[in-house]
Amino acid sequence: MTTTIREKPFSLAKSRRVIQWLVVIGTFVLGLRHIMPGETSRGGSFDSFCAFGGIETLLPFLFTGHLLKSTNLLNFSVLIATLGVSLIAGRAFCGWLCGLGAIQDFVAEWTRKLLGERRHIRGKQSKTILPLHLPAVVDRSLRYAKYLVLAVILIASLYAAFPPLREFCPVRAVFGLKMTSLLWFTLIVFLAGSILVERFWCKYFCPLGATLAIFNKISPVRIVSDTNHCNSCGRCDIECSMGIKDVPLNLDDTECIRCLECMDTCARDGSLELKVIKS
Amino acid sequence: MKINPRYYPAIIIAAYVIFLLLGILLGFGPERGSEGHGNSMLFQLAFTTLESLV
Repeated sequence: MTTTIREKPFSLAKSRRVIQWLVVIGTFVLGLRHIMPGETSRGGSFDSFCAFGGIETLLPFLFTGHLLKSTNLLNFSVLIATLGVSLIAGRAFCGWLCGLGAIQDFVAEWTRKLLGERRHIRGKQSKTILPLHLPAVVDRSLRYAKYLVLAVILIASLYAAFPPLREFCPVRAVFGLKMTSLLWFTLIVFLAGSILVERFWCKYFCPLGATLAIFNKISPVRIVSDTNHCNSCGRCDIECSMGIKDVPLNLDDTECIRCLECMDTCARDGSLELKVIKS
Repeated sequence: MKINPRYYPAIIIAAYVIFLLLGILLGFGPERGSEGHGNSMLFQLAFTTLESLV
């Protein structure tokens, strides 16, 4: 008698969770290192490991040749790395490598569990009341706020001594471990927002996400939908943490964080595929 | 060209690491004490070249 061993299907969602946990732990270690005595090791301050710090200090550096205080040349390397990923795969950094994005995903998952969802069935709408789905008009309008935040920060960076977002930066609030009253306030708002609305910061306020959004239109690695296979079941819409409607028709949406949850959830082979395409 | 989604995580991590190293090689390294100062070799070279041209 022959027995066939069925290969366990590869789960993108599980791989993403592992990477997200590694990013979160790594960022916590970085924050911890910077509150320890003798933190004056190579690499400078906690802020110098931030991609957005590179954007905040770019204009002052180009115009005056000086970086903003607490930023470092390393910020540019981290920014180049983030832009490099985006150039290849759009906003994949947001979906896979951002510590704040990971925390928001965890908070949404824990919220659902606390509110009674025993086991999440992929592609099935959660019955818990939180995270909320904001009315479409409010949601659509609020999504422009992140571009406004980015514009304000870029202008403010020309007149600032420190990075303009520094005192309200959720990364410092969550991982920095050097708290001020403003950072405590930021932390509370960030966590409350993430409990109420999935990926609250990414959707409405993240200036780095606003910077990377355009790359979804030009990156060669994209998710492609095959309308011959798709039966419009809506499973992908339910799993989209960024709340994109009609996912198969909006795969190049600037809001997509290329987490590939839609692909992982899709039950029909060949309906959603990852491809390298010529722009 | 179709990509196996299995390789997607490796692609983005590899891209991040390669571009990070590229940035460091371009002179944007973790220089201690460079906070508030710009002393990138790349920019110094660019500025010197521009000055010599002008």
